[in-house]
Amino acid sequence: MNKLRRSLLLLLLVLAWALAPLLLSRHLIDLFVFAGLFTIGGLGVGLLLGQCGIVNLAQALFYGIGAYSSAYVTVQLGLPSLTGFLAGMLASALIAIAVGWPVLRLTGFFLALATLALSLIGNVLFFEWDWLTGGTLGIGGIPKLSIFGFAFDTPERVYYLVWPIAILVLLLADNLVRGRPGLAMRAMRDAAPAAEVLGVDMHRLKTAMFVICAMLGSLAGSLFAHYVSYISVQSFTVERSIAFLLIPVVAGSASVWGIIAGALFVTFIPELLSGFGDIHQVLFGLALVLVVTLLPDGLIGGADRLAQLLKRRMA
Amino acid sequence: MSGVVELQSLPSRPPHLPATLELSGIAHSFGGFKVLSDVNFAVPQGQIVGLIGPNGSGKSTCFNIVSGFLSPKAGRVLLSGRDMAADSIQARTRQGLMRTFQTPKVFERMSVLENVMVGLHKDGRSGILASMLRTPSARRELDRLRNTAEGACRKFGLGKLLDAQTGRLPAGQRRVVELARAYVGAPRLLLLDEPSSGLNTEEIEQLRGWIAMLNSEGMTILLVSHDMGLMTIADTVHALYFGEIIASGPMTAIQADPRVREAYLGG
Amino acid sequence: MSASLVMQAILSGITNGFVYALIGIGLAVIFKGTQIINAMQGEFAVIGAMVTVFALEPAGLPYGLSILLGVISGAAAGVIIDRLFVQPMMRQRAGEESFLLLTIGLAVTLSAAVLYLAGRNSYLLPSWGEEGVIEILDAFLQIQALWLIGTAIIVVVGLRLFYGRTLLGLSMMAASMDPDGAATNGINVRRMRSLTFLLGGTIGAIAGILVAPLVAVNYHMGIALTLKGFAAAILGGLSNPLGAVLGGVTLGLLESLAVVGFPSGYKDVIALAMMIVIMIVMPNGLLGRVGRIGG
Repeated sequence: MNKLRRSLLLLLLVLAWALAPLLLSRHLIDLFVFAGLFTIGGLGVGLLLGQCGIVNLAQALFYGIGAYSSAYVTVQLGLPSLTGFLAGMLASALIAIAVGWPVLRLTGFFLALATLALSLIGNVLFFEWDWLTGGTLGIGGIPKLSIFGFAFDTPERVYYLVWPIAILVLLLADNLVRGRPGLAMRAMRDAAPAAEVLGVDMHRLKTAMFVICAMLGSLAGSLFAHYVSYISVQSFTVERSIAFLLIPVVAGSASVWGIIAGALFVTFIPELLSGFGDIHQVLFGLALVLVVTLLPDGLIGGADRLAQLLKRRMA
Repeated sequence: MSGVVELQSLPSRPPHLPATLELSGIAHSFGGFKVLSDVNFAVPQGQIVGLIGPNGSGKSTCFNIVSGFLSPKAGRVLLSGRDMAADSIQARTRQGLMRTFQTPKVFERMSVLENVMVGLHKDGRSGILASMLRTPSARRELDRLRNTAEGACRKFGLGKLLDAQTGRLPAGQRRVVELARAYVGAPRLLLLDEPSSGLNTEEIEQLRGWIAMLNSEGMTILLVSHDMGLMTIADTVHALYFGEIIASGPMTAIQADPRVREAYLGG
Repeated sequence: MSASLVMQAILSGITNGFVYALIGIGLAVIFKGTQIINAMQGEFAVIGAMVTVFALEPAGLPYGLSILLGVISGAAAGVIIDRLFVQPMMRQRAGEESFLLLTIGLAVTLSAAVLYLAGRNSYLLPSWGEEGVIEILDAFLQIQALWLIGTAIIVVVGLRLFYGRTLLGLSMMAASMDPDGAATNGINVRRMRSLTFLLGGTIGAIAGILVAPLVAVNYHMGIALTLKGFAAAILGGLSNPLGAVLGGVTLGLLESLAVVGFPSGYKDVIALAMMIVIMIVMPNGLLGRVGRIGG
């Protein structure tokens, strides 16, 4: 019975997702595309935060690497877009290993601030290396993605591309988290010395997860570049890194599927608040502070608790 | 016993022989302050050896040196005759060494079953890619780990708590989870750090039973404690006082030793 | 490269160094008192400077009073944040990452609030004493920089005496290192934490007000200030206010001397990369005696 209800609910969700672009305005579809991108990039940060207990404030760096790789490879070199995706993910993985191996010896606050510094460094380099990135002017004219001659040139079409990718990476991440490495990650998050005694190679595992996070960031960045077709340093600032981190925080960091809720929050709430005029950024900041203080398990955890409370009331 | 059969059904496990441990000439100091000087003792194969001493006597330092959390300033630690000086904590684990902690370090946000499954981590093979793709072998391995861990949980009376969040358990039960987690990895030498602290009399009685069981299943045990009552389980006890062993022998003899009495009562 | 160019780099390096030092001292004070790295320490500086700017200009108050208001607002911000957010989270026994997220969230909020109230403009304050520069070996040092350096030294000496010699200072240390033990000895641990934030806010605001005559302040400089201050504190070894000065000046000098050889855009890259390297290879900072807690 329960299983039937769940499958039914899932079916309804899929149906709603599939039909949404027919009913929604173009602006809303555009926002949903961004929510999909942020799901992919935010998932990486969420795996680090929720499973490994690592605060990563450098995701904008890898988001940028993906975006610039795609832009450079397609615009300057005229190569097919798939090359850009691969180049970005490869570059991100290599940089994540080179940087992560030493930096992941740090823990807690120190690691978090080191990643924040990385994000700032990345932003300066994106700005300075204008032969590659176009500096403040950015790179324009990035071609729309096209696969087997089908061009993803409208928000609706990109919507049908981005979300299946997002669901795919979420599925893979969900498997990982339930598997043997997932157990080891949570073990080192909860009690590092005990995990080490039990034979978990923590430094290797952390670095591997940092690489996965970077590759997801890069994937999202490449998709972003092809979608908006113009990129500049403004898209890869520390604020973007903070926004990526907030996705799992808002969702409740240990939840894999909750990342979707976090990404929707980070995309739609500022949009809703912008109705209040210029003060909306302050309200957004406050909303986040309140989530951190009042809902330590994020929105998903809060919803769970509310459901339990209601159940007890009803009974 | 049933537990042994389950454990040995894991194919990757080498034949299970209890290890020996030998400390020779161990010395250590913190910032010029001597904590251990020329400590020598052995834990013979399959025995339970106790280490007692008042606070600050160097028990914990000794323990941390054996488990690899500290490297000694001098001396050698031999596991079954092999010097472990250069080995990392993980390498020691691979050689069959396992330790518990004075305050149990359980994985608080994981379930009891998951805690014990981590105890089998070193026996698993499936990596990140295989787990992401849920390859048949990764799935089979995970099932096997789960079954073995579940068996161990039942053995330690945790059968009803498999899905309980470990951080919510009382101190006594966390201790049991830590013990089950150590047991499931089938170490050849088990180091127990103050296992009775925070337990009530009834729980300590149960603990005695488990220590005896672990020992009978092929684990050499080094037990550090200041609980004289628990120590009667040990075959031999060494009394540490200001970084030196001042008496060795069965617990009854140690308790009667005038120097030990002075260290405990006169100091 | 000419000698005067190098001299100029040294002078501005020292000046910047003391700015980083003051932020770093504030970070160290809060870390010492609460075991929290306050990612919004730079915002205290922005608050202090902005309140002073607006008390002076539209409100028309005398400079001295405006400065006082600026300092008080930094102190008040510290206490309010502690009472409203930190204390409740302490009660829930929140982890390190939660506090980091909290202070980052607050930094984002405050910077947005400053943007809302003060706009995108940058603001300069008048010099404290005389306007003007002194000449040292063909290079120039603004008189305001001397005020900055002097005040920083006074703050360091004052903190040393406060933590070493006064009962209140000792109680604050005790409350942080062993809250339970301190509480049984009759120390009000909660109040000590509030006082720590008050002190951190005050030092932050002072830093902002001292900098504002040299560098125009704007809504988004907080995070960069925090990171540079953190780098200074890390270099010096987090638990030592004197270390933050040494760390800050080292950082400032390296930064400005490097700029003589590199394009100026790389200034931040050099400083931040150095911070990361120092954390990894010298976890106890340049002075390297006192152990680092929490890392």
